[in-house]
This record gives sequence, C-alpha cells and structure tokens, in this order.
Amino acid sequence: MLLLLDILTTAAILFVVSVGLLAIFGVLKIVNFAHGAWLTIGAYCAVVAVKLGLNPWAGLPIAFVAGALLGGVAELLIIRPLYRRPLDAILATWGLGIVIGQLIALAFGRDVQLIPNLMSGTVRVLSVDYSVYRLFMLFAALAIGVLFALTIEGTRLGLSARAVIMNETLARSLGIDTDRVRLATFMIGAGLAALAGVLLTPLTSVDPNMGVAWLIGAFMLVMVADTSYLALAAACLVFGGAQVLVSTFVSPVLGGISVAVLAALLLRINPRGFSRA
Amino acid sequence: MPEDTALLNGRPASTTALEWRAPAAAALVAALIVWISPLVLGAFAANVLTRSMLYATLAVTVDLLWGFTGILTFGQAAFFGVGAYATAMTMTSLGSTPAWMAAALALAIVLPMVLGLVVGWLSFYHGSTPLYASVISLVFPIVVTQLVYSGGLLTGSSSGLVGYDTLPLDLEGFFRLSGLVMVAVTLAAWVFVRSDAGKLLVAVRDNDVRCAYLGVSPRRVQITLTVALAGVAGVAGFLFAHASGVVAPENTGFLFGTQVVIWVALGGRGSLLGPVFATLAIDYLSASLSGDLPFLWQLVLGAAFVIIIIFLPDGVAGLARRASASIFRSSKQTRVPRIALAAPHSAVERSATLLKVSGLARSFGSLSVLENINLEIRPGELVSIVGPNGAGKTTLIRCLSDGSEPFKGVVEIGGKPMKGLTPDRVVALGVGRKFQVASIFESLTVAECLRLARTTSETPSGIGSAPRLSLPVASIEILRLTGLIDLIASPAGLLSHGMKQALELGMVLALEPRLILLDEPTAGLTKAERATIGTVLRHLTAEAGYAIILVEHDLDFVREISSRVVVLHQGRLVLDGAVDDVVNSETVRTIYSGGGHV
Amino acid sequence: MTPKLFAASTVSLLLATVAQAADSGPIVIGVPVGLSGANSVVAPSVVQEAQLAVDEINTAGGVLGRKLQLEVADDASGAAGAQKAFDSLIYQKKVDALISMETSAARNAGLPAVSKGRVPFIYTSFYEGHSCNKYLFVDAWVPEQQVPPIVDNFAKEKNAKTYFLIGSDYAFGRGMLGFTRSYIEKTGGKVVGEEYLPMDGADWTPILSKLKDAKPDAIITSTAGGAPNVTLTKQMRAAGINLHYANLAVDEGTAKSMGADATGIYLSASYVTGIDSPENKKFLDAANKKFGADLKTPNDLSVPEYEAVYLYKLAVEKAGSTDPAKVIEAMPTVSFTGPRGAIVMDKQHHAPLTMYLGQVQSDGTVKVAATFKDVDPGEQCPNLK
Repeated sequence: MLLLLDILTTAAILFVVSVGLLAIFGVLKIVNFAHGAWLTIGAYCAVVAVKLGLNPWAGLPIAFVAGALLGGVAELLIIRPLYRRPLDAILATWGLGIVIGQLIALAFGRDVQLIPNLMSGTVRVLSVDYSVYRLFMLFAALAIGVLFALTIEGTRLGLSARAVIMNETLARSLGIDTDRVRLATFMIGAGLAALAGVLLTPLTSVDPNMGVAWLIGAFMLVMVADTSYLALAAACLVFGGAQVLVSTFVSPVLGGISVAVLAALLLRINPRGFSRA
Repeated sequence: MPEDTALLNGRPASTTALEWRAPAAAALVAALIVWISPLVLGAFAANVLTRSMLYATLAVTVDLLWGFTGILTFGQAAFFGVGAYATAMTMTSLGSTPAWMAAALALAIVLPMVLGLVVGWLSFYHGSTPLYASVISLVFPIVVTQLVYSGGLLTGSSSGLVGYDTLPLDLEGFFRLSGLVMVAVTLAAWVFVRSDAGKLLVAVRDNDVRCAYLGVSPRRVQITLTVALAGVAGVAGFLFAHASGVVAPENTGFLFGTQVVIWVALGGRGSLLGPVFATLAIDYLSASLSGDLPFLWQLVLGAAFVIIIIFLPDGVAGLARRASASIFRSSKQTRVPRIALAAPHSAVERSATLLKVSGLARSFGSLSVLENINLEIRPGELVSIVGPNGAGKTTLIRCLSDGSEPFKGVVEIGGKPMKGLTPDRVVALGVGRKFQVASIFESLTVAECLRLARTTSETPSGIGSAPRLSLPVASIEILRLTGLIDLIASPAGLLSHGMKQALELGMVLALEPRLILLDEPTAGLTKAERATIGTVLRHLTAEAGYAIILVEHDLDFVREISSRVVVLHQGRLVLDGAVDDVVNSETVRTIYSGGGHV
Repeated sequence: MTPKLFAASTVSLLLATVAQAADSGPIVIGVPVGLSGANSVVAPSVVQEAQLAVDEINTAGGVLGRKLQLEVADDASGAAGAQKAFDSLIYQKKVDALISMETSAARNAGLPAVSKGRVPFIYTSFYEGHSCNKYLFVDAWVPEQQVPPIVDNFAKEKNAKTYFLIGSDYAFGRGMLGFTRSYIEKTGGKVVGEEYLPMDGADWTPILSKLKDAKPDAIITSTAGGAPNVTLTKQMRAAGINLHYANLAVDEGTAKSMGADATGIYLSASYVTGIDSPENKKFLDAANKKFGADLKTPNDLSVPEYEAVYLYKLAVEKAGSTDPAKVIEAMPTVSFTGPRGAIVMDKQHHAPLTMYLGQVQSDGTVKVAATFKDVDPGEQCPNLK
C-alpha cells in the first residue's frame, strides 16, 4: 500500500514538474533547458512571499505571474532568434539557466533557504499513515492536468497551439499568428514551471541550484511523451513507478537515474515514445 | 575518350609539403613554451594550468565531435571521468607498481572505448536524429556519476578517491607531461581535419544522407569517432588522476560536460585552437578569482555563452578569422588536386538483368502509395518514369535505393535482394542516386566533394591530402561540359543552382554505379544545361553500359533521351514501353490532364 | 647585463622583499568552507566565529606583534571544490595556517595539498575520526565521544532495542554509522536497517518507506551538516514518523531554522548555547555585540572555529614564529579555555571534550539532559604520538 501511494504521488510530482516543459516542446519544438531555473524562480517566489509576511500559498500566484513574465522576455530575446537552430536553443537556454541561477545566488545568497511547509502532517489512508502533502500533490497534478486539457481542447489558443504543433507553416498560411502562439505558450509553460517550483518547496531544499536535478527527469519524460499530455501522464506513471521500485528494492541512487535510462532505451526502440503515430 | 586531364584546371600541383611545415612548427613552438613555462610560473599557476591543459585536450575532442561532425555531446566528460576513476581505483585497490600503473593506463583507454561503443551504438543508427544523440550524451554522464555514487568504498562515493600513489613526477613534470599531451592531441586533430579522411567528418555533419548514398555509412564514421575520442578522453583522465591526486564524482558529471561545451562554444567550434585557448583562459581565470568574484564570473560567463550562441555561433575564433581576413585581405590558397583519369571498373555484362522488381508495394497506414509494381531493367537502358504529382515516383526511387524502407515485394539488384540494406550497402551493390534538390556538401570545395565520392574506391588518407584525384571519364565529362572544371577550388555552397546539380551528378557518376537513379535532374536548369546533361546520360547508357532510371516531368526531355518509358499513376504501373508509343498514348494524356482517377 | 643575470638579480631582490614582508606583514589564516552546497547553511556561522576571534586578538595586539588576517574560500562542500579552494589558499594566497570546518569529502581532498604545502591545518568540524596527518589537528568531537551517550540513553531510559540508521553516503556518514552500529551491537541492541543517500541527495521517500516497514524503536541519522539534515527531517515529519530520533550531525543553528520539525530531536554536542560558564557568557555577549541581529546561532560546528583561532595564536606565540615545523610541535601543548571549557589537542592531535546530551525544544533551544566531562577521543592516530 505504501509502495502504491509512493508510486502514484511520485508520478504526480513528475507530472507537475514536466507539464510546462511539454507545452513548450510541443509548440515551439525546442527543449527549454532553463526549465530547472524556472523551478528555482518559483521556489524563491515562495521565499519572497514568506519574507513579505504572506501565507506561503501566496507564492503560487506570485510565481505563476513572475514565471510567465520572465518567460515572455526570454522568448522574445533568446528563443525567437534560435527558431531554426534547435540544438543551439538547448545550449542558449542552458546558458540562460546559469545566468538566472547566479542572479538568484547574488540576490538571495548561495545558502539553502528554509521556509515553512505549505502543508504538514499525515492522514490515515487505508491502514497506512501517509504524508498529507504528497497526497495533495496527487490532486494538484490532476487539477493542473485537467486545466491544461481544457485549455488545449477548449480555447482558441489551444486550438491554434494544436495547429502549430501539427504543421506550423500551414498554420501560418491559414492566418494564425504563430509568433503570438509561441510567445503565449512559452509564457504559460514558464509560469507552470514556476508554479511547480513553489509546490516542490516542502519536498526539497531551496537553493540556487535546486532545479538542475529535476531538469533531466522532466526532459526525458517530455522526449518520451512527444507532444501529448496524456502520454506524459502515462510516462510519469510508468517511469515514476520504475523509479520508486528501483529505489526501494535495489538502491536509491540507481532509482534516481531509472527515469533517464528507461526513457533513453524506450526512445531507441521506438522514437515516437509513448505517443501514438 | 578525353586524354589525361592533368593540367586541365591550370593550377599547380598540390603543396602537401608546405602544409606540414606550418603546423609542425607551431606545435614545436608550443611544446617549447610548455617546457619552459614551469620555470617562470608560480606553483599555483602551474598547478591550475596542468589541469586546464588536460581539460583543453578534452575540449579538442568535443570540438572534433561537435564543431566538425555536428554531434553536440555532453558525454566526453564521462569518458574522462571513467578514465580518471579507472586509474584511481586501480591505484587504490590493486597497487601502484609500474606494472599496475601500465595496467591502469590500459584500463583508462580500453574501458572508455568500450563504453564509447555502447554509447555510439545507442546514439547512431539508421534514422536517429541529432537530438537523440545529444540526449544520450546527456544521460550517459548522469548514469556514470550515479554509478560512482553507488560504488561505496570502491569508488569512494561522494568523497571521491584521494591519497593513492601517483606517477613519480613533481609539479613541473606533470605540467610538462600534460602540456605535451595537449600539444600532441591538438596537432593530431589539426592534421586529421586537414586530411582527406578528415573531410568525412564535415561531410557527415553537412549531409549525412548524401554520405550514405556515396557508400559511406555515416553511422560508422560517428561511432568510430566516438570510440576513438573516448580513448583520448580516457588518457586525459588518467593523467588527471595522477596530476591532481584527487578524483571526485564531479569529474564525471554532466555539469562538467556542459562546461566543456561552453568552452568550445566560446572559443569557436570547428576551429580547434579556439577551444584550446578558451579552455586555458577561462579555467585559469575561474581558479584565480576568489571570494565573491567566482560567482559574478560564472554570471558573466553564462551571459557571454548565451550571447555567443545567438549572435556569434563561430565564437571568438570566428571573430578573429573575420578580423584577420579583413585586415590581411588574402585569399586562402587552397591546395587543389590534379584531376586524373581513373581506370574503369570491369565492364558490365550487357545481357544480365540489372534491376528486378517483383510485386513491390508500399503503404503508409491505410494509404497505399505503390501497388504491385513489376519492372525489369537491363544495362544500357535509359528508363524514364513519368506520372503526375503524387503518383508515387519518388517513393519508388526511395524503395529502390533504401532497403530499410518497409516495402512489400522483392527488389533485386544484379540478382541480389536489397531489402533490409541501408543505403550505403545498397550503393555497394552498384546503385547511385541523385536527389531532386542538389544534395552535396555545402562547406566543402568541389574537389573535396568529388574526392569523398571516391571514398569507396580509394580510401582517403588520414594524414594528408592526396595530390591527385582520379575520376572516371563520365565525371570528368560532366565537369568539362558544364564548366565546373574551372571551379574545382570553390566552396560547393557558393555554386549556382545548375552547377550544384552538375556537381551532384559528377559525384554520383564518380561512384561508377551500374544503376543510376535520377530524381528530376533537369529541374531548374537552363535549356543549354539540360542538353548537356541529356548528352551525358545518353552516352553513359549507350556506350558505357550503365542503366539509368529517370524521374521526369519534362516530356520533351524524356522523348529525346529515353530508350523506354514507364508511366506511374496513383501508385500503379499503367504503361511500360517504347518512347513514342507511351508518349503519344491516350492514357498519358488523360492522366496528365487530370482525368482517369480511379 | 645578460638577460639571465638580470632575471636572477630581479628574482633575488623580490625574494628578499618577500622574506622581509613575511616577518612583519599580517599572519594569514585560510578558511576553506562550504559557502555553497550542503554546508552552506552552517558556513556563515563558521565565518562569523573566525572573524570574532580574529577581531578580538587583533584588538588585544595581535600575535607576536602581527595582525591576523582571514582569507575565506568556497570549497563547495565537496572534494572537487576543496581541491580548488586549498590550491588557491596555499599557493596563491600563501596562507600561514588553515583553520576550518568542512565536510569530510572536502577535508580528505585537501590533505594532499596540506602535506605538500606544509601548512598547519586545524580541522574544527566533528567527524568520523581516524584522519591522520602530521599537519592536521582536530578540536571537535569524534564518534567515540559523541555516540555512546546517545545510545546509552536510548537503551536505558527508553528501552530501545532496535535501531534504524540513515546517513549520507560518504566518509562521515559511513564512518559515524559504522561506529554506531558496532557500539549498538556491543551493548546488546540490534540494527534493523542502514540506508544511505549521496551527500546531495534530497529525496528520502524510499528510505522512509523502508523505515516505516521496519518498525524500529529508534532512529539514528548522520547526514552531512546542513541541507541534507533539513530535507531528511522535513520529509520524516511529513511522513508522520515520530519515533525516538537522534541526529548525530545536527547543530543548534540548523535545528532552530528547522522550526517545529526539529522538536524532540536528540543530539549530543560539545557545545550548546545554554552552557553555564563565565567563558560562554563572555563569548555570547561579545558575539551579540559584534553581529547584533545578524548573528547566526553559535553552534557545535562553529564555536570550535573560534577556539581554534585562539589555539593557533597560542601555538605561534609558544613557537616564537609561524614556521610550520615549530608551530605543529607547539600545537599539542597549548591550552585555551573557551566557551566549551579547556581545550587541548594532546591526544594524538585530538582533544578530550565535555559532551552534552540534549533534546531540541519546541522553541528551538536545546535542553541539556546529561553532561559528560572530558570524554576521551580514544585511539585516533596511534602513529602520531
């Protein structure tokens, strides 16, 4: 039972962290290697909220807005010029991540920040005491997933985004302002990443480099999921489950790399990953 | 038959001898500087630079992979780390006698090379993308680091390994050893990229599909390069373990791997010297700044990296090159080989069937693009395939040249089935393919492109540039008739559209393929150019005994040169016969005017 | 003048100037410490204590008439960073001594440079013991001094028979828990689980699930000081684990910043702010006066730094110079009475210490449950007499 809850909550956490990256990869076709930095930005928004005397939950809206705004600036200045050079876009966003990390370190110091938990305690679930916050993450992931799905399937922006994902040239020739779609998508993806950063604060230590560890896992999950958020959910479940199983029965160290290794092997066998043709 | 065209281009024979002197002299000077430096540098600078020079060696390997071959890799750090750990673990657990040290060196070379083979096999396969290769190169160092962490006392885990016996050299000794290795590796790399074989790297980067269709498997080039450079990285790791006395998980990790890429990008990818100097400068400066400055420094470096990637992809070296070009205004004297006539392959049997297609079918999901195609072609035939757009012509060509296409039915070339063979192996059966959009190597010169086309008949030299380029008569004919012979030394990317088409045809003919597949060879050409190509093609089939399959829309051209015409419509072969019969038939007229859809 | 002669005379002139400066310029103390990485939570306090000691000594006239000067370098709490920091301090800044608290990974990586550069090194962090080098002196505790009080208390007062051990996977984590395991088994207890994460690891979920399954009577942890402590405790409380919990590596400062999660943790330390002695009161007053609101809680990882600077001063004064050979000869013979009492590093370069067993209260302070005077460090380095 404990194992099952661990698997479900780990999958939920991975989903929340990766969904922003998926949106950006699907529409802009580039991998935002500054994703880890945006997680960090979000976490530090929570720190700022606490310092201002607000409830730590206030960090959520602050982070989303800050992340989206900074994302817009980044898209205009850095992503747009590299539209046709996807490998160089990986490098440039990595550099951007370094710059952001150093700016945060200069502003807040290099040491670890400690803020009160968003939620503490345990609750009894079917004969087992389980962390309330981890269970909350399950609901958070579902909520974000549903909101995301509604946006993609139900809004004009979502429709335009899907058109761009399928065939950007055609979309542009049909009159869709693809530049605006890309900008909006990047802002939303960045905002989601910052949001995820806030949600991570009870689970990990907050320091300028906290995002890097999550970047690779998120990146591999997005590679496997290609452009489908349902595929992402499936990938998070399968690989998150593998991670928990390996961590528990083999070693926590090897568990940490199971997502990356399994994803790489899967892509070798089937380059389309979890998404169907 | 044209005579020996030895001095056709009027330029002097190659200057291979002079090409050796400049780099050798530079290497000698560098070696001397390395030798003297420990006497003038302080202990701190010497200590730091010893490590920097090993990192510079690593940067050279990354430049060869990324700058020249187009493989963005974060993984060289992992090979370096594996070499370092193999060394330290041997010294710690097994012993430090000279025998064990030699064993450690061997292990530091062999183990990374084996891992390089695994990484290469994972990353480079028919249909792999550069993004996937980069992904693997990212995952690999992470896996290595985690394996180190889970190694407990054997690898020292987070503590790393320290205190093992090292080579009995003092600080100056290690400095000189590292420096000389760096100079040697850089020199070897420099010589290699200038050589004929070195051009293969650029070819793979520019156009790996064209490489495959010249009979050179790009995968093999990429994997071989990865394995070889993994060994070099391992040697650097071995020296690092001895020179620094401490081996830590950070030396294997992906953060270190990204750092090397940053140094190469800032120095200038594809320039070899740029990355070397950038690594030395940046690593030394990073170590020298203390207090808060290292963090400001990282910020500056990160920002510089972003700016260079966006605005100056060629890095500082590119900037220097452009600056010196504008100052000195000299034109590079590229050495130009002498064109010579190659002895032809054995004559083709006129009667044997060259190509036999039985029941070929190809569908994408539920959409059937080719259905039940049956075709037989003998040497000397010039077959044109006509049909409206969407009839499946290019798909047919693809199925005839790329055995990895999932088609049904049988395709035999010279009696050998080609199903399942990758393009480079199909080329080995005697097939040459010319693409609709001229598929050449934009960064290389015309002569270099042609030489690469001869790779399967004459293995290119790995250390120099051969003074003579042997081409079969058909290639030379194309060069002469189109005037390309006067542009032998110009970069292929600067040629006009028509010249590029001619170059590609020349490259394909250089393969001396028995069966040539041409996809709309006259598209975008002038009337005169079309006539030239037509003459050559007819000559090839009539006199040299080649077989040619031609996909064409220009019915006049088809009528002029073909010996036979095949009509494709909605994936089916509807007509196959002599030129006049087919061209004048009702069916063709109906099809082309849009009627006759099933 | 030939170029060679010119060079030679310039060099000798420079050397002479430098030699002169060496005798009258400031005495430079290098402080390589984890400003980033796992130790970054505790490093600021260490730097503050060093500054306090240096300021006090300089105000009182310095050492042999020379002022003390600090050079701080970041070792990133790890081996690779330490190598760079030690290189920079020893060869570039040419420090006269190294006095610092570091992770064991960093310390081990720096020792080769210490030996090569012949620099006295006072290590001020508690650690797993048995690190021996003729230039290395330790004024903080080793497992022989810290573990027995905890295990004895759990076994006798709380009837704990089964223990679950969690640590960071490096020399310190493994060393401490290795000693703990043998002490537990020697005194009749049983270890039902021993799990490790790398120093920078932050996800303890699978280990905590294992812990829940094992149902031990007590938990003993030994992670790297700083961040790993925080994440482990946070996640443990979030998982609802409220067993008897002793943390071998937490200091009062980190415990205070952990807030409510830290309540109930047992620790065994050579310093707690509640020590009732005139030296401690004087020390705390001076610290508060100098740093005011910016003062980071002095703790078991930073107070030894303060005392070590004084010990170095005394050693230099006794030796009559900063010459490394003379200083390391004098070091085991000098005694300084600081906030932790009288400190002498005369037991094979280690020091007998008074240990306090305490429990963290809900307001973050540590309540002392028992005191053990002058606990012997045991046989740490038999080859260094």
